Amino acid sequence: MVDVAVVGAGQTKFGNHSLGLKGMWAEAALNAFQSVDGDFSPSQIDEAFIGSIAFGGSQLGNTAALLTEHSAMDGVPVRRVENACASSGFAFRDAWMAIKSGQADVVVAGGIEKMNDLTPERKRFWLGVSGDTEWERLAGLTFPGTYALMARRHFHEFDSNHDDLVHISVKNHAHGAMNPLAHIQKQVSFEKAAGGFMVADPLTLYDCCPTSDGASCVILAADHVVKQFTDTPVWVRGSGAASDRLALHDRPSITQIKATAEASKKAYQQSGITPRDIDLAEVHDCFTIAELMATEDLGFAKRGEGGAFAREGRGVLNQGDVTINSSGGLKSKGHPLGATGTGQIVEVFKQLRGEVADGRQVRDAETALTHNVGGSGATCAVHVLGRGRQ
Amino acid sequence: MISGTDVWKGYLLAWDETYTLIQSPFTRDGARVFGADSDHTTLAIAALQHRISLGEAIECVSLAEGVNGSIFTMATGVDMADEVTYDSCKWDLLIGDDATVVLIQRDVQIELPELETYVEVDDDFHMAIANAWEKELQDGHVSQGAYVSSSQYIEGGVARMALSGQQFGELLVWPPRQLNEKGLREDGRVSLTPVGNVASWTKLSAAGAPSEFSLRAPLLGGLTTVLLDLEDGPKGVFLMVDDEENEIKIGDSVELVVRRIYAQEGMIRYGLRGRII
Repeated sequence: MVDVAVVGAGQTKFGNHSLGLKGMWAEAALNAFQSVDGDFSPSQIDEAFIGSIAFGGSQLGNTAALLTEHSAMDGVPVRRVENACASSGFAFRDAWMAIKSGQADVVVAGGIEKMNDLTPERKRFWLGVSGDTEWERLAGLTFPGTYALMARRHFHEFDSNHDDLVHISVKNHAHGAMNPLAHIQKQVSFEKAAGGFMVADPLTLYDCCPTSDGASCVILAADHVVKQFTDTPVWVRGSGAASDRLALHDRPSITQIKATAEASKKAYQQSGITPRDIDLAEVHDCFTIAELMATEDLGFAKRGEGGAFAREGRGVLNQGDVTINSSGGLKSKGHPLGATGTGQIVEVFKQLRGEVADGRQVRDAETALTHNVGGSGATCAVHVLGRGRQ
Repeated sequence: MISGTDVWKGYLLAWDETYTLIQSPFTRDGARVFGADSDHTTLAIAALQHRISLGEAIECVSLAEGVNGSIFTMATGVDMADEVTYDSCKWDLLIGDDATVVLIQRDVQIELPELETYVEVDDDFHMAIANAWEKELQDGHVSQGAYVSSSQYIEGGVARMALSGQQFGELLVWPPRQLNEKGLREDGRVSLTPVGNVASWTKLSAAGAPSEFSLRAPLLGGLTTVLLDLEDGPKGVFLMVDDEENEIKIGDSVELVVRRIYAQEGMIRYGLRGRII
């Protein structure tokens, strides 16, 4: 079966943008086109998948067609992929599958979200649309609330506490402070992060990612055309995805994201590696507790030992077992919902090609993982990428 | 005669063989007033649930105006009387000018007891909450919150207010599913015991609360939500009641009572909320 590689990747800065949907997407697409080493023309694109929640609802229908129209991809078969915060993780998987199936040679996967041009009330509505509306939402829960329930239960069942979450926040801010594309390029002290405003007890402001505008775009190619574009492709070595019950109360455990465990198991199997082989991972830390649990679910720490993993700095850039969120993660780089999944791919594409600027480059990076979660864990896409084809 | 007084579902209770009286524990200037998420409908449901707990078989009740009949029936499984069934109903639900209801056998004459006052409400808080509900109920108030349409709400009403689940073989499921694990429609409805233990909890700040609660959450100092391990097995998430102290720990026992949740499109959405026992 055909192998698939990423040959180009670009994004906007994540944060508060003056640009609208069309402008942000065009910027991300242009950055992706220009990142291709060899000759590349948008006319070579066979298919496109764009992840977005269409936050705000301004172009809820046919979002993707509007975007391709403004990025020299007129006529390309395109669709919006919606799986909450995992929308573009799944768009990337769809693109990979399109090439794997033999139906396409060059495919674009991307994502976009414009979140900061709404009133606070409208924003809070859209932030909640991906959770379980009928039961959780009517119990007063938004995502900070659902993740707060997970955090408190994790603290109860295992050797973990809020200080462990603070370590994650401090680490990701430290990484993000070096990333010019990050929403919050600022280090945070342990004391400041520990004393943040309480959003959903026990989670404070420093446990929660910001709401960001942004777009990201990557170009995938089949092995038989890769040479046209680059001599240093980043190969997609494994793609795993899974879903779980939408509401927390329907899951046997809330201290584990089952979809993450299932998706990563498939991705590891497909790529023939184990968690120990991963040099860097872009992990879905919409809340710090999400990263703590992900380190367990992805196999970097044993179940129940995510707190110790964070406490001991085992995810710190070039210092731990594996670099977790060299970009700053959602916590610092930002979380423009639909753009996050392919934003993670942009980061590992650059890291694996050694293109990251001083201080933030993961040393000797050969193999990377991306982990993109929808909502409180109803959907998850995990990808393993590497410099080597297998 | 068997009779008594007690606290029932967070309300004051007095009863004998012929009646159940339910009153709000709150007073203002000597008059009974509703707590932050109560009204005559929630009191009426508590009254009937008390009679049912005594083993009384009640098929229908004649409801006073001011009680939402469809909510009452969804929560209790007991029909309200109409013109055809009125004569066959043996129980009347009467409401007072204040926060009082009495469920009484028809044609019984009694003098209701005076119940001990619990709490004098803070005037400003009481008025602010009442005004917030009034505003929330206006047609012109368009919530930016979760849109649970009236039909979707009613479809899940019995599960929401009577904790109606399904028995699929060994598996007890709540909330109910449209199809069972074999892909077939199967009713198998069973009512779960409205009691559970706290598996986890959180308190959302007013700023972080869903926008459908944006008028009341600042007055309440945020919203407290629990994940419960229900006594019969399934789990559920529930808001705690607004009118009691909610100092919660994992493992606490919680009972579920019907209260107001929020209003949308002029319709009050009721549901089960937790109170520590």
